[in-house]
Amino acid sequence: MPGMSGRMSTIVKAKVSKMLDRAEDPAETLDYSYTKQVELLQNVKKGIADVVTSKKRLQLQEAQIQQQIVKLDTQARQALSANREDLARVALERKQTAQEQLQGLDQQIADLEAQQQKLIDSEAAMRAKIEAFRTKKEVIKAQYSAAEAQVRISEAATGVGEQMADVGMAMQRALDKTENMKARAQAMGELEDSGTFDDLTQLGPGKDDIDRQLEQIGAGGAVDDELAKMKAELGSGAAPATLDAGAPAQAPAADAEAKK
Amino acid sequence: MIVRIFTEGQYRVADAERARIDELDDASHKAAQAGDEAAYEKAFGELLDYVRSHGEMLGDADLEGSDLMLPPPDTSLAEARVEFTGEGLIPD
Repeated sequence: MPGMSGRMSTIVKAKVSKMLDRAEDPAETLDYSYTKQVELLQNVKKGIADVVTSKKRLQLQEAQIQQQIVKLDTQARQALSANREDLARVALERKQTAQEQLQGLDQQIADLEAQQQKLIDSEAAMRAKIEAFRTKKEVIKAQYSAAEAQVRISEAATGVGEQMADVGMAMQRALDKTENMKARAQAMGELEDSGTFDDLTQLGPGKDDIDRQLEQIGAGGAVDDELAKMKAELGSGAAPATLDAGAPAQAPAADAEAKK
Repeated sequence: MIVRIFTEGQYRVADAERARIDELDDASHKAAQAGDEAAYEKAFGELLDYVRSHGEMLGDADLEGSDLMLPPPDTSLAEARVEFTGEGLIPD
């Protein structure tokens, strides 16, 4: 009776039947689908491995930025004890930028990790479904060759066919997701490599000039605060001996470093 | 009757629930057609929750043919629009 089921369900069902109707020899079709499923599962696994690689690369970059932050902090102190406040400011501004990069990367990595876990879980579920499919397929094939009740077989085949379509859809979606994640991680890595992150004025899309200026003021304030703190530390007489001894000799080095 | 939620699994649901499921299905379809994101998320979410809470999940090895088939839970509005708004594709 028309209009008796929901439209979405009707459309999905029609699509699945259309796909299953194409199968001529059930046994052959089932074997082919199984091979195809195993192949697809391999691709999903490879996709997950690629995402892990991309994530590791971002983590490596994160470690590098952390080192850079320590280095810039040391340079700022050295510059300040050599009475080069201008250089200290540059170093602290760069440190501020590096810290922002670090936050961005942190977020990306956490995102990748969460999605990666979901993919691993769904990969396990798909593997279980494929295994169930394999078992069922052998039963159906045995029934088919024994030419048992055709109706029963075709009914069972419908269920298996549905499951086949389901697993196929799940895998296609998982593959799309890994591709998407890989692309995002790659884009993040490329931004980092091209030095885009070094430029404070390069903000994400959707940020206008006002945002930019506001962020610069914010960053400037943070730099001022840190500079004042550093001055207080150095001025308190508790400055480490290494800085006193090394300051005059290291000032040109810090200069050169800051100009890079 | 058996309801399959694609990429999730099959549920055995009492035949009496059919009317409510169809209703929620049609509401999701209508919202997708109208491009109304909030209404689509709400109706589709309710539809899936209704099936889950009123049905009993079947094991992976059961593999019965389904009476109703619903799209994957993560079907976006954009996907739903492409897949389910082709008026006249399936004649009533």
